[in-house]
This record gives sequence, structure tokens and C-alpha cells, in this order.
Amino acid sequence: MTYDIVFVAASALAIASALGVVLSVNPFYSALSLIMHLVSLATMYLLLQADFLAAAQVIVYAGAVMIMFLFVIAYLGNRADEPTRDIPLWQLGAAVVAGAAVVIEIVVAVASQAFGPGKTVTDQFGNPSLVANSFFSRYLLGFEATSILLLVAAVGAVVLGSKRPSPRVDQPDDFPAPRPQPELELQAAVMGAETAFPVHHMPRKDEDGG
Amino acid sequence: MPDGFIVTAIKSFVLVNLVMVMFAFMTWFERRLIGRFQVRLGPNRVGPFGLLQPIADLGKLIQKESLIPVGSSAFLYLVAPVISLFSALMVFSVVPFGGQATIPGTDYQIYLWIADPNVALLLVFALGSFSFYGFLVGGWSSSSKYSLYGSMRAVSQLVSYEVSLALAVIGVVMMSQTLSLTGIVDAQQRDGVWYIVPQFAGFVIYLLASTAEVSRIPFDLPEAEGELVAGYHTEYGGMRWAMFQNAEYIALIAFSALASILFLGGYDGPVLPGPLWMLIKMFIFLFLSIWVRSTLPRVRYDRLMTIGWKVLLPLATVNLLVTSAIVAYRA
Repeated sequence: MTYDIVFVAASALAIASALGVVLSVNPFYSALSLIMHLVSLATMYLLLQADFLAAAQVIVYAGAVMIMFLFVIAYLGNRADEPTRDIPLWQLGAAVVAGAAVVIEIVVAVASQAFGPGKTVTDQFGNPSLVANSFFSRYLLGFEATSILLLVAAVGAVVLGSKRPSPRVDQPDDFPAPRPQPELELQAAVMGAETAFPVHHMPRKDEDGG
Repeated sequence: MPDGFIVTAIKSFVLVNLVMVMFAFMTWFERRLIGRFQVRLGPNRVGPFGLLQPIADLGKLIQKESLIPVGSSAFLYLVAPVISLFSALMVFSVVPFGGQATIPGTDYQIYLWIADPNVALLLVFALGSFSFYGFLVGGWSSSSKYSLYGSMRAVSQLVSYEVSLALAVIGVVMMSQTLSLTGIVDAQQRDGVWYIVPQFAGFVIYLLASTAEVSRIPFDLPEAEGELVAGYHTEYGGMRWAMFQNAEYIALIAFSALASILFLGGYDGPVLPGPLWMLIKMFIFLFLSIWVRSTLPRVRYDRLMTIGWKVLLPLATVNLLVTSAIVAYRA
């Protein structure tokens, strides 16, 4: 009875928040709805006795991944919907076709599988040691390949992030080289324009000594 | 649910109130103790030794005007402190305060925990990552630059230190071979040693990272007054501000409880009953936190990040490798 109530509530919340992801105008609300959706799914995993899966879902997706989404959206502020503003028509068409394909796929999949009681879930389902065993024995190759992929992505992000934009050869005027500043001017700038004191450059010993 | 619905509900009610009382006591204790550290008295007027000060504060906060800043997202603004407080309180649902106990006068047996899932530790981290959203949503919805910067800082700090925190805890998980918190307490009795001894490096990393996770001095950069006014809760006042503070202190109490379980044997101890031991150990960590707060200055933000990524993370990784090698060798 309690399970039924929780299941219905979680399903309703999952559907409502999924709609919220698509229908929200503000991307911040979309991201928050996606988090709600992931949490509702985690609740369903809990109902299936898969505690580990639920915890992993919340930590990885609702926690780590989505916090980055929100972080970027909050930083971009009002410009967050910029990428979607001037969509070319062919992209819109492609999106509709791809969405329709997914819908057809789901309908076919659901139609071919008779609804009804599925396999019985054992007590051990989703148990951490069971999950670990399958990761480190049967699916070891895939597991390792995934981790290498993530590592490559992390290294790539660091490389991209640390690179300064270099001036393009064909448009050298885009990035004017910084004008060398005399030391005197720099000091005056640091002290502020309203500084009434004259700023004198004190020659260091090694400067006139050569 | 071995206890049934009603017993669990009663236990939850008692626990939430207990945690709230601990929070009230903690605010009083902290102010008194910092007073002593700074050679002054601290609050001592309301009630004996100033013990009723938290209640007076509450009375003041409740009377404050409820403001919603212009241009904010009202719903998110109102809901953010609730997210923080809720996720902080939820952690206690898996914290064991003792083993089995008999209710005096009857022979009815209860467990001194609300739930004991076999992935309790992961759930703690999952709920912990939810408190980030309270800060981020609160800062974003206030439509104030200081709030936004504060929440950005809070989130980047919490995300950075959560990695080291998790790695430090995995050392304990490897030794105890379980993710259940009661299982970890049992494993320390089985091994005959509290894990603070074999996992001392992990313990130090845990202490540092958890201080950063609850944004306490010396890592309280999200609230650095000199730069950010008050961080993510700049625009909050009255009880909503109090809820953010409440969440922060409850997170501190939760991390102290977790430290007691992971490294000091939890409710394990001679002579005295288990829950009392648990409270004593939590008290040690709370005292330590106040001591550090009144002693150390705030670190600079770039150094905070350096400590997190270039000191604690490599240390935690090395600790993890050594621990796994030893555990594999002994098995």
C-alpha cells in the first residue's frame, strides 16, 4: 500500500518534472526540473530495492553533473538561452525527425513487450558488491574503456581551458599586441588618478651600473 | 522497515527535535567558548549562564519582516533554505546512535537508528550533494551579484572538497568492507582498533575537507564578509536566514557524527551506554571546530583551491592506494 502511494507519487513527479524540463522558458528552471526528474527516478530505484543504484544516480547525475549545468547557467545569466535563439530551420526539422524517431522506437518497444509482471527482483538486486563484481569481472573492458574516455575528456578540457586564444594569421588586427607600458606610468595607474603626489621612478643599482 | 511505520515516525520526530536542540545548544556553546578564547564573557544574560540565549534569538528572528527582493524568483527564493535544511536533516536518518535498546519498563526492543541501508554512506553523500542546491538556488534567485558570487564560491568549494572527502572515507570502507554505518562500527569492534589509528591520514583529510564542506573558518570563503557582504544569503533575513544557518550547523553536527562513526568507533565504548559515547565523540569534534574557528584566520580563495586540488586530493589518492594494497595483501 505504502509502496503504491510512493510509486504513484514518484511517477507523477517524474512526468511533471520531465514536462517542466521541456516547457520551462528559463533554462535554470529546466535544469532544476531535470534534477527533480532524476530524483524521482532514484525513488523508483529505491522501490525496486536497488539502494546502490539510487544513491549512485543521485550522487552522479543529480549531484555532480547537474550542479555543473546549474553552475554554467547561473554564470551565463540572461544569456543562457543564447544558443537556442537563432536556430536554423534545418536544425529544427532534424530535431523534430529525431524526436519522432525516438517516440516510434518507444511505441514499438512497448508494443512488442507485453505489459505485466516482469522478472521477480531478488533481495540481492542492485547490491553494491554484486554491482562491483559485474564491473570488475564481466564488464571490466567496458568499465576501463569508460574511465579512459573520461580521463581523455578531462585532459582535453584542461588543455582547452589553459590555451589562450592566439591571433589568427589572416586577421592579425583582432588581437592587438599589448603596448609595452613604461614603469612610471604603471605605478601612477596603480596609485590612482587622484593621487596628488608626484611618483618618482627610483633607479635600481644594477640599472645604471649595466 | 523492521520497526513499522508508527515507531519510525516517532523516532524521526524525536531525532529531529534532538538535532534541533543540539543546534540551539551549539550556537550558545560556540558563542560562549569564542568569548572565552577572546578573553570576554560571551552571552550570559538570558537565563542561567545565558543558556536561554538561543530562544531569545529565535524570538527576535521570528519577529523580523519577511522580505522578498524585487526581481527575484519568489518561489525559488522561498524554497532554497528549505532544500538546505531538509537535506542536512535527512542525513540523520541513516546515522546510528547506538545498537539495540529496550524501552525502560517494557521489553519492547528498538533500534537506535531510523534506517540502516547497506549503502548508508553513499546516501549521506547523495544528500550532502543536495545541500549544494540550496546554496546555488538561494544565491541565484536573490537577483543580487553578491549572492550569486557567494553561491558560486560555495558550490565550487564544496565540489572541490567533496572529492577528497569521498576518497578519504573510501579508505575506511576498504578496511571495514561495508558501506553500512552500523557495519563500519561492527568492523571496528571486529578489528579491535578504531580506524583513526590505521587511517590517520584519511582522518586528517576528512577533518580538513569536512570543515570546507560546512564552510567553517578557516574555509568560510562563501561568506567572506569583506568581499561578499554575506555570500549566498546576503538577501535573506529573519527565519529564512536562520534556516540557512541552521542547515550549516546541522551539517556540522552530521559531519561530527559521521567522523565519530568512521574513525572513533561510533557508539562503541566501555562502561557508559552507547548513545552517550556517540554524543561524547560528536562533542569532541564540535569543540575542535569551535577551537579552530576562534584560532585561525580565513585562507585566501586561490589557496583554498590549491589546498583542495593539489594537496588533499593527491594525499587522499596515495592514502587510498596504500590502504588498498594493505587490504589486498592481508586478504
